[in-house]
Amino acid sequence: MRKPLSTNSLLLALVVVAALAVPFVVQDSYWRHLFIIAFIYAIVASNWDLSLGYAGIFNFGHIAFFGIGVYVTGLAAKLLGMDPWVAMAFGGLAASLAGALVALPVLRLKGIYVILVTFAFSQFVLQLVLSQSDVTGGTQGLVRIPTISAFGYNFLRDQRFGYYYVALALLVASTVFLRLLVGSNFGMSLRALRDNEDYALARGIPTGMQRLKVLVASAFFTGVAGGFYATYLRVASPEVFGFSTVALVLSMVLVGGISTIYGPIAAAVLLTLGTESLVHFAGMNESRFMLVAVLMLVILLFFPRGLASLLTKTRPSKGAAAGETGRVNIAGNEASP
Amino acid sequence: MTLHSLNAMLVSGIVLGSFYAIMASGLSLIWTTLGIFNFAHGVFMALGAYVAWTLSDAAGLNLWLGASIAFAVASVCALGILTERLVIRPFYGERNMLLVTTMTTLAVMMFLEKGIQLLWGPRLKQIRPVASGDVTVLGVTISAHEAFVVCLAPVLLFGLWGFLRLTRTGRGIRAVGQNAQAARLIGINVPAMFAITFALSAGMAALTGILLGSVRLMTPGLGSEPLIKALIIVIFGGLGSLGGTIGAAYVIGMLEAFLIINIGMYWTPSTMFLLLILTLLVRPQGLFGKAVH
Repeated sequence: MRKPLSTNSLLLALVVVAALAVPFVVQDSYWRHLFIIAFIYAIVASNWDLSLGYAGIFNFGHIAFFGIGVYVTGLAAKLLGMDPWVAMAFGGLAASLAGALVALPVLRLKGIYVILVTFAFSQFVLQLVLSQSDVTGGTQGLVRIPTISAFGYNFLRDQRFGYYYVALALLVASTVFLRLLVGSNFGMSLRALRDNEDYALARGIPTGMQRLKVLVASAFFTGVAGGFYATYLRVASPEVFGFSTVALVLSMVLVGGISTIYGPIAAAVLLTLGTESLVHFAGMNESRFMLVAVLMLVILLFFPRGLASLLTKTRPSKGAAAGETGRVNIAGNEASP
Repeated sequence: MTLHSLNAMLVSGIVLGSFYAIMASGLSLIWTTLGIFNFAHGVFMALGAYVAWTLSDAAGLNLWLGASIAFAVASVCALGILTERLVIRPFYGERNMLLVTTMTTLAVMMFLEKGIQLLWGPRLKQIRPVASGDVTVLGVTISAHEAFVVCLAPVLLFGLWGFLRLTRTGRGIRAVGQNAQAARLIGINVPAMFAITFALSAGMAALTGILLGSVRLMTPGLGSEPLIKALIIVIFGGLGSLGGTIGAAYVIGMLEAFLIINIGMYWTPSTMFLLLILTLLVRPQGLFGKAVH
């Protein structure tokens, strides 16, 4: 059966094309840097949305998956001399393994205990990193991690040209993965468990297994993003595990809207570019994070479904016309998934 | 293990335990009454320390230390009430209240921590100790300030216990913690109880922060490491029991002192977290907690 191409997919294609064109418009190395960082945050935030939003697991150890990716990649590339590309994949696998480990206590617990044990887990990883200072560099961090390159071309050259596209490719891959996952039967079973656990259980959905799978899945691209971050900035610092990073990425998930995947991505890009452009005003270095915190509170108080809910609310009036043209012009161009 | 190192372990365990007990009981109080976890507890500690420092040590305002401590505690109490009012109360009774308030208190933490950094700058500070000099207990020398904390903790905790047991307001707070709906039906002012709980808890956080501010160097993140410790303690003690929390504070203090002496500073924190995760696996209700369904 064929389905008309919706406005949403058209919009999505436009966004991807625009993102592909950005490096040709933005020549400035600093702005490209911001985009790269934004894409990394977007991967972390949208994968968190999978476990927090869709599966409803109060996983506050998500940032630890990112940190594990950072450190495993950094250590593998620097100390074991592994190729940085392979090391990045390795970072993802290590994060997934950590996801499976953290799932073990999470399976048995509920509510506040899940929050506490996942927080404890991320602190455990941090303490492990700090205690092994002769390997990890301790509080000083791990420095001079090798960068990625291909056929002798270092991706940092030409104002980070290569890094931009790798970041974008990772984000697209992660997003496609997440959208396929949440649209699948597996994704539906997650939502069923979240909304009515007893009923879902009665219909034969294995709670434990689904939670394990979702933590492993949400950790993978988060870990890869961490690995990419390590090879990009060339340092691994224990600060990535801090409360501030947790709060920042959490604000992206919330501002964008929980259980949307696209929302956190958009919010990550907007918040990163927005807060960074504030740095140039005097005294804004700390207060921009205060602004993010206030924004987070405002969203929670007044728009609990995130900014994405504003779009969906206005859709019936505006969207009808847009949907119409979409159907007329490009009907039947896309096979239904 | 020689007798002296055993004594050293005991004394430093009790010192640590005293700090932890004051700090964690505030956190536990909020949990038992409102059923939420206040992640801003750590930053309340830092704020208390900074306000007290400004009043007592900063140039110009060389007030008596006791007065500045009292003022700092009072102002953080007020901030606690404000926090409850602005970011906790709107969500009371919602299905996902626990998750939402975790996020709002994290946002408050981020806001205040950066605010402190903005106002006071990154330079390290230290508050004058409450008492100067050293005290020797069981052949182990600790500072008089630490000895003061060791004596203060039981007084404070006993006071809190008495308040919750014997006064009308205290009993009201416990009633609200057990069943807010029923408490309202018999005429208890539930919102007022929440506000008082938050004020008490924030005040205890501020006091811990001030006391810590003379032992350690002050940074805006002064409270994050103690907050994590308090988290461990509250879990070990079993959520929902103040007595369990206080017991756990001293047990954890001892355990930490024991680990530091035997396996060293570096391995201690990770071992403690590992023990915590294992405890949760075997006894999700904590060491002293009763199973809840």
